[in-house]
Amino acid sequence: MSEVPMIAIVDDDESVRIATESLIRSFGFKTNVFSSAEAFLASSTMRETHCLISDVQMPTMSGLELFDVLRSRGAELPVIFITSFPEERVRRRAQAAGALGFLSKPFDADTMMSFVFQALKGRPLPG
Amino acid sequence: MEIKGARGEGSGGSPYFFPVVAFIMAAPIFAVDTLTPLDTAIAVLYVAVIMPSAHFLGRRGVLAVSGGCIALTTISFLIVHRHDWDSSALVRLGVSLSAISITSILTLRNQQVTSALRDQANLLNLTHDAIFVRDMADRIIYWNQGAEQLYGWSPAEAVGQTAAGLLRTRFPDTPASIQAALLADRQWSGELVHFKRDGTQVIALSRWSVQMDKAGRPVAVMETNNDITERKHSEAMLQKAQAELAHAMRVATMGELTASIAHEVNQPLAAVITNGEAGLRWLGREVPDLGEARASVERMISSGKRANNVIARLRALARRDDPDHMPVNLNEIVEDALMLVQREADSHSVSVGLDLKASLPDISGDRVQLQQVVINLLMNAIQAMAGVSGWARELSIATREAREPSGTDIVTVEVRDTGIGIDEQSANQLFTAFYSTKKEGLGMGLSICRSIIEAHGGRISFETNADHGVSFTVGLPALKDPVP
Repeated sequence: MSEVPMIAIVDDDESVRIATESLIRSFGFKTNVFSSAEAFLASSTMRETHCLISDVQMPTMSGLELFDVLRSRGAELPVIFITSFPEERVRRRAQAAGALGFLSKPFDADTMMSFVFQALKGRPLPG
Repeated sequence: MEIKGARGEGSGGSPYFFPVVAFIMAAPIFAVDTLTPLDTAIAVLYVAVIMPSAHFLGRRGVLAVSGGCIALTTISFLIVHRHDWDSSALVRLGVSLSAISITSILTLRNQQVTSALRDQANLLNLTHDAIFVRDMADRIIYWNQGAEQLYGWSPAEAVGQTAAGLLRTRFPDTPASIQAALLADRQWSGELVHFKRDGTQVIALSRWSVQMDKAGRPVAVMETNNDITERKHSEAMLQKAQAELAHAMRVATMGELTASIAHEVNQPLAAVITNGEAGLRWLGREVPDLGEARASVERMISSGKRANNVIARLRALARRDDPDHMPVNLNEIVEDALMLVQREADSHSVSVGLDLKASLPDISGDRVQLQQVVINLLMNAIQAMAGVSGWARELSIATREAREPSGTDIVTVEVRDTGIGIDEQSANQLFTAFYSTKKEGLGMGLSICRSIIEAHGGRISFETNADHGVSFTVGLPALKDPVP
C-alpha cells in the first residue's frame, strides 16, 4: 500500500486557505491547513508533511520566518510561497533560502501543481 | 393698525390746492354772514374750513386759518352791526367765535396725535429692515422704505396686494401650519424665499408678530425681513469647502491604505480563481465529485461578494456627495473602518481588541464622514505605536452608551493605543489645523475629525493613559427612538 503524500497549507486568510486546500485535494492528496505559522510548527503532523504551501505576509510570524525556523531545525521540507505582495526583494530572499516556488496570488493552478509534483518527485503519486 | 392712516406731508399735491378750496368755502360763508340779515350764527360754518386744514397744513397753518376765520367773523359783525350793538347779535358772535376756537383747539390736538403716529411710522422707515404689515387676509396695509429698497415695490404699489402673491413666497412648511404656530405663539420666525420685483431671489430671515385687538382677536401681522441671501451663500460655500477638504483627506487616507486595500480586494479574488480551478478539477475527475464542485462554486460566490463589499465601501469613501444624515450604528461604522485598516495594524504588529456594546442605539449622521473619523483615529493609533518596542502594541476599540451630565443620552467610541503618547505642548494644539507631530503629516486629520464630530452635535476628546499611549473618545447624541 503506497502512502498518499500529505501537503500542508498555511495562510491567515480563510477563503484562500480553503480554496487552495480544495484544489490540492482534487488531485487526491491529503491536506492539513493552518491559519498561522506558529500553529503549523506546533502541530503533531508537521513531520509527516511532504510539501508546504505558505503565505508570506502573516500577522505575527511571516512565511519567510517560518522557513528559517524549519531549516534551522533541519527540516528539508520543500516549500512553495504564495503572496499578495510579490516584491522582488522578498522573492530573491525566498529563492536564495532555497524555496521551491514563489507565486503571487491569485496563482495559476497549473503552475502551482507543477511545483507540487516537483516537490513530490520520487514519491508515489495518488490515483 | 394705527399707522395705517399715516401719510407724509403735502399729500394734497399742489401747494395752492388748499388755499383755493379754503377760499371757495369761506367766501360764501362770509358773503351770507355779511349780506343777509339772518338772525343765526352763520359764522359757525367756518369750522368746515378749519377741520380739513389739519390735513393739508401744519400747526401754524391751522392757527392762521383759525385766525382768518375769527377775523372774517368779526369783520362781518362789524359791517352788519356797525350801528346797533344788538345783544342777541353779540351772543351769536360769541357762539360763532367759541365754535371756531374749540374746533381749532380740537383740530390742533388731533393733528398732534396724527403727527406722533406719523413719526412712529417714519421710525420704521429709518430701519434698513424690510417691514410690512398685513391684515389677516394677507393683504398688505403698510410697507416701509426698507421693504421698498429690498423688494423694489413702492408702498403705493404694494399696499392692497397679498404679501405671498406679491413676493411669490416659498415657505419652509405649509402655510397652514405656519399660520397655526403664529396664532398659538403670537409670533413666528423662519427662513422664507421671496422674489424681488426684478425677479431675483431673496432668502429672508423673517420674524412675524401678531397684533391683537382689545377682544384678543388677531387683526394684523407685522413681518420684519432681513436679507440673508449673502450669508446663506457664504455658509453654503463654507460647507462645500469643508466637504471638499474632508473628501480630499479621505482620498489621501485611501492613498495611505492602498496596499491594505489592494490586499483586501486581491485576497477574495485569489480565492475565487483558486476555487474555480478546484471546481474544474473536481468535475474533471474520472467520477466527477459534484458535492465538492458545488462547494467550490458556493465559495466562489461568497468570496466574490466579499470583494464586492470592499469595493462598495471604497466607492462610498471616495464619493464627494454632500453629507447626508441618516440613522447609523456606530458599531457598524467601527467594523467597516477596522476592515480597511486591519492589514495596516497587522503589518505594524499591532494587536486589535474590539469591544462593541450589543444593541447600541443608532445615531443620526453621515456614514462616510463618521467612518472617516474612525479610520483617522485608528490610523493615528497604529502610527503612534509603529516605533514602540519594550511593551505590547495594543489597539483597543470600545463602543459604549452613556448619559451626559445634561441628561443627553450619547453613544461613544473609544480608541485606545499603547503608542508613544503625546507631550503636553502638542496636546493643546492637537485639534488645530496644520498642527502635526508627524514629519510628513499635513496636520488636518484631527482638525477635520473635530469639525465632522461637532457638525454631528458631538464631541471629541482625548486623555493620556496611565501606562502608555492615549485614548481618544468620540461622543455623539443617541437617536431617541430606535429605528425598527
